[in-house]
Amino acid sequence: MSIQNKQLQRRGFLRGALATAVLLPLGGALASCAGGGGGGAATTAAGGAVSATNPFGVAATGALDAVIFKGGYGIDYVDFAGAILKKNYPGIDVKISPSTDIAQEMQPRFVGGTPPDLIDNSGAKSIGFSTILDQLEDLKSVTEANNLEGTKIADTLYGGVLAPGTFNGKVAAINYVLTVYALWYSKSLFDANGWKVPTTWDEALALGAAAKAKGKYLFLWGKEAATYYQTMAIESAIKEGGDEVRLALENLKPGCWSLPAMQSVFGALEKIIKAGYIKPGGSGTQFTAAQAQWSNNQDALLYPSGSWIENEMKDQTKADFKMTGTPVPVVSASPKIPQTGIRSAAGEPFIVPSKGKNVAAGKELLRIMLSKDSAVNFAKTKLAPTVVKGTVPADGFGSTALVSQTTMLDNAKTNIFTWNFVDLYGMNPDQLVPWNSFLDGKLDAAGLTKALQDITDKVANDSSVTKIEVK
Amino acid sequence: MVVFLGLPLAIYLVFVISPFVQAMYYSLTSWSGFNDKMPFVGFDNYVKLFHDDIFMLSVRNSIILAIFLPVITVILSLVLATLVTIGGSSRGQIKGLKGSGFYRIVSFFPYVIPAVVIGIIWAQIYDPSSGLLNGILTGIGFDGLKSYPWLGDPRTAMIASMVVIVWGFVGFYMILFIAAIKGIPAETFEAARIDGAGRFRTATTITIPLIRDNIQTAYVYMGILALDAFVYMSVLNSTGGPANSTLVMSQKLFTTAFSKSQFGLACAMGVVLAAITLIFSALVFLVNRITGGKQDVSE
Repeated sequence: MSIQNKQLQRRGFLRGALATAVLLPLGGALASCAGGGGGGAATTAAGGAVSATNPFGVAATGALDAVIFKGGYGIDYVDFAGAILKKNYPGIDVKISPSTDIAQEMQPRFVGGTPPDLIDNSGAKSIGFSTILDQLEDLKSVTEANNLEGTKIADTLYGGVLAPGTFNGKVAAINYVLTVYALWYSKSLFDANGWKVPTTWDEALALGAAAKAKGKYLFLWGKEAATYYQTMAIESAIKEGGDEVRLALENLKPGCWSLPAMQSVFGALEKIIKAGYIKPGGSGTQFTAAQAQWSNNQDALLYPSGSWIENEMKDQTKADFKMTGTPVPVVSASPKIPQTGIRSAAGEPFIVPSKGKNVAAGKELLRIMLSKDSAVNFAKTKLAPTVVKGTVPADGFGSTALVSQTTMLDNAKTNIFTWNFVDLYGMNPDQLVPWNSFLDGKLDAAGLTKALQDITDKVANDSSVTKIEVK
Repeated sequence: MVVFLGLPLAIYLVFVISPFVQAMYYSLTSWSGFNDKMPFVGFDNYVKLFHDDIFMLSVRNSIILAIFLPVITVILSLVLATLVTIGGSSRGQIKGLKGSGFYRIVSFFPYVIPAVVIGIIWAQIYDPSSGLLNGILTGIGFDGLKSYPWLGDPRTAMIASMVVIVWGFVGFYMILFIAAIKGIPAETFEAARIDGAGRFRTATTITIPLIRDNIQTAYVYMGILALDAFVYMSVLNSTGGPANSTLVMSQKLFTTAFSKSQFGLACAMGVVLAAITLIFSALVFLVNRITGGKQDVSE
């Protein structure tokens, strides 16, 4: 009898262990969705007196809470501005914290009604703007204010840089860093081989043949960055077909991926892929590893990317590479927008939530960042221009990439455009899939078109997604 | 009474049960996650989920993992555990292979490494241009595999990912089974040997029936891990893999919540995942019972 009892106990124990095993993942699966209760009334700090040097009425005492995305640019440039604020308002306790996962960390604070005073809503895990739009301050008050030098901030900015942060007429975000999207190459390598930078897709195809003869490829890609080719294709298609292509995409129109301009670009890319001018294996390669194959091994000649590429690959770029950018190629000799047109968008969107404890100080920090000292400091330490004009000297602090950005911006004149729909509706993860297959040669242009249209239609037909109309 | 029963129960209710209930409620709303407005939409989210081909694909992938991972891991670790405990010389005392202590330690190593690190190591091994695997394969003459993307081809991505997870867990389950086998009296094995049973026969008719409960527990644990698999899958292929061939439900849930800001829909996915996990556990129990787990000697 005693033996049987003992075994029953053991059985009971195992049952218990199993029950725990079942409950653990349940906790994981379900508890991760827990949200907070309703937002309490925000207790805003008592304001100080508004004056010419204090346009937002920052109180002499209090705290400033800023959360900054810590990516390629770090957070020290905000610390720099924070130090200036601390000097002007010694009574304010300045706290600038880094985050690599803005959406996940800020979500409970938005729901709970206790967001920080200033956020850099950037990175792969940023918050989609359509969801928090009504909880943000209109930052027109910042651009209408004077900077520390006494000039109206709006007059010191490059043209069109407020557009990406403006939704339905409200300046919800000020994007701080100017990014130029281009095709990047090594000027020293091109000069040594006598190659010419392609301006049309036919020239690109011919360059691919020349590269092949040298045992190199025309392009390469990494799996997380396959959509850099989508950016290049959209840019080329907009130049080819004009603004209507951009508007069709931005407003998620049915058949927007089948527009003739878009199709001609896809066709040109397909030709390059079929000819074997793209380094195989990209769909299994981590993107920075792939980029190093371009900047260090020089396996491929061209790489489409934003201007962050120089900073990102700083440690993995061959000596005397002379990284230079050029506007992406077009299909025909007479595109609607000249080939020198570029996509330039300001990145790193800074937002001021209305429910922050010290909204005035959040705006003040942003005002300091948009003033001369901070902006020059950024350009000098990050080798990237801010949205503030005239911060980059002619030698680009010794960077060929920075000089080429300024050149491209100057050559483009008024033909500078951008689009938001990919980030706005969080479509990038879905779009990566067909782009990887397309670059791999497993999907043809028709298959790519259908896959992208399906992704777009799904968002367009989803009534729970707030759409933002672009005119 | 209040302290020993009431307090744990209260903690359990607040931190375990209430989030479940909350998540189930959110799954019936179209909450975006970043405000306090939660419009009630009934079962709309569930209808949407079952019409979402990519979500259904992720369900399929999760189920494939839940079918294959436990079988492969449990069988492999059982074989190894048998070898290092009773697989040794058939003369004298019952013992494992020579140097079994060493094998035991070595095979436990992967379990000591954090999952993220395992993922990063294997992503490097699978790298098409400079990875160890393609280096070895091309070195021994398989030139066709030069720059073959193991994690980038829909035909191999899932299998390659499964290999990584199995590699990470075989050692742990082996140790678990070794402990169970050690609990069987040596006389039982000796008696079987005197009756003329070989090693294979001993393993199938003595060892397995006697450690049946341990196998069942291991199976359920491994299955639950397979249904989650978030860490491994997101490190190996953060975006869901080629043609979404390695996208699992937990990954889809995460992007729906945090990059698309559809928390209501994501909660519905969580509820579906929880339901599938429960069904899986129930199935394992049922199969064990049908195959005679009840009348077994260990009961």
